[in-house]
Amino acid sequence: MTTNPAIEARQLRKTYITTRGVFRRERVERAALRGVDLKIAKGELFGLLGPNGAGKTTMVKIFTTLLLPASGTALVLGLDAVKDQWALRKRIGFVFGGERGLYWRLSGLDNLRYFADLYRVPPEVSRRRIPELLERLDLAGREKDRVELYSRGMKQRLHLARGLLNDPEVLFLDEPTIGLDPVGARELRVIVRELADAGKTVFLTTHYMFEADAICDRLAVIRDGVIVAEGTPSSIKTLVHDQGIVEFEVVGMPVERLAGLRSLPGVRSVAISEHELAQVVTVHCARPADVMTRLGVILDGIKLEKVSSREPTLEDAYVQLIGENPTNSEASP
Amino acid sequence: MTGLARAAFSAFRVSIRLRVISPWAYLNWLVFPVLFAAVGLYVLSSPGAASSHVVYGVLGGGLIGYWSVAYLEGGNGIQEERWNGTLEQIFATPTPLWVILLGKICGGLLFGLLAFLPTAAFAYVGFHAVLPALDGGRFVISLGVLTLSFFCIALTLTPLFALWRWAFSMLNGFELGVYVLCGFMFPVAVLAPWAQGVAGFLAPTWAVRALYASTLAEGPHNFATWWLAAIGLSLAYLAGAYFLYALVERRARMSGQLALA
Repeated sequence: MTTNPAIEARQLRKTYITTRGVFRRERVERAALRGVDLKIAKGELFGLLGPNGAGKTTMVKIFTTLLLPASGTALVLGLDAVKDQWALRKRIGFVFGGERGLYWRLSGLDNLRYFADLYRVPPEVSRRRIPELLERLDLAGREKDRVELYSRGMKQRLHLARGLLNDPEVLFLDEPTIGLDPVGARELRVIVRELADAGKTVFLTTHYMFEADAICDRLAVIRDGVIVAEGTPSSIKTLVHDQGIVEFEVVGMPVERLAGLRSLPGVRSVAISEHELAQVVTVHCARPADVMTRLGVILDGIKLEKVSSREPTLEDAYVQLIGENPTNSEASP
Repeated sequence: MTGLARAAFSAFRVSIRLRVISPWAYLNWLVFPVLFAAVGLYVLSSPGAASSHVVYGVLGGGLIGYWSVAYLEGGNGIQEERWNGTLEQIFATPTPLWVILLGKICGGLLFGLLAFLPTAAFAYVGFHAVLPALDGGRFVISLGVLTLSFFCIALTLTPLFALWRWAFSMLNGFELGVYVLCGFMFPVAVLAPWAQGVAGFLAPTWAVRALYASTLAEGPHNFATWWLAAIGLSLAYLAGAYFLYALVERRARMSGQLALA
């Protein structure tokens, strides 16, 4: 890991304090981050994965100076997100997913001009940069339309343009493709990858595994405010390298034969579904090769078709990390 | 123009633009003030009413509209930003929140001044009511002092709306309270003594008193005292705002209440 990271968290903790009850007010504390350590190198496209409520947005909001941590340190470009917020805000950009966060009754151009002024971008720079961003994000020609007339994809691209107005060194993207159609999401992913290739550090949170797998240089998985895995997409997958999936089609297999499959060493689950006249059997197991070699014995006399085995995906790794593994895992880089 | 001044002017421009295209804003500066003026003029122009009180009908509706727009820019404006999801966006820019709100409130004040036009026109056309003893110079100064007091109240209260979502529910109560206590449509002298005491701590009370006095020949008038009282109280509000903004900056970042959720 780099010695001069663009983003760094040291034992970062955040607890939300609320109250509940009408007559007897009760103080409720909910820990959103429980001592997160993280380092992200300059120019890296880093993805943070996790379920709803895991602490992804909280972490983004702390780094973007919107929230104060309960304890720990959050550094961006060497600046403390708690104490150096004014200097830091000039050098970072952020985009939250969803359609809100824009002035819908103003045009896209008016939105950008307004935020350019709030980001203290000199007029001579914003006059040049705004048309460039509109062109780059495929909004040119529609910039004078009110935002309420934009499609969701256009609004999200406008969000991104707003996040780039100050030419930030670090860009935080909180679920930027949420709710976008597949084409819009793909276009946005391409743009994000280009930004990272151009040297910007990008911190991306997402629910979409294929998105993280496709564009991120490195990933972390967060669960209940704790980083449970960190590494490259391929190294995260190796956390479940001892797992595989064997799929095959059979015709007329008696149900009792499933018991034979389930009794094989390393088999975790067997599922069967009807597909026209055939049955599709899916076996989640530790050693797919072992299962495949024994299939012939267990299914003796039954015609086997389309036997296949596949590598675990990032989603398989994610599901295991989120659903099963309660301890920290460090993937090999 | 420095970056901060440009940011404030940009917020001012956006505030004006959003008001020009908002039907709700037209209710506040056009419809409601004329309704208030109509009721006031009907009552105050009736036979037997003191002729000096007609000015409350002529200017009262405009004052209510002016206050309503200026005040709403602070309270409702913040809530609208929260609903739009833009409150966090503007808070996280390198421009301090008070600079942005300063621009927005100035936009609201300029728009609010428009409320005097339909009410004055309505009074003239509908009731042939004029301001025969108008002292133009003192009227303008009093209006300027009133504007300063509205500005300072809005700038002071606005961070509360940013900080506490529940503060929005107090919006209407405070708006109506100021109508009554500051003597927008009738002299403060008709209020109960304790209410007059409370009104004395509100800067607009003194500015409104000076404003009405500038339209009446009969005195006694003590403009300098009234102006100084309004300006002094306004500056006291500003001093309070200084601490409030520091508090907002910290508390909002602790609680995360800038978001809608």
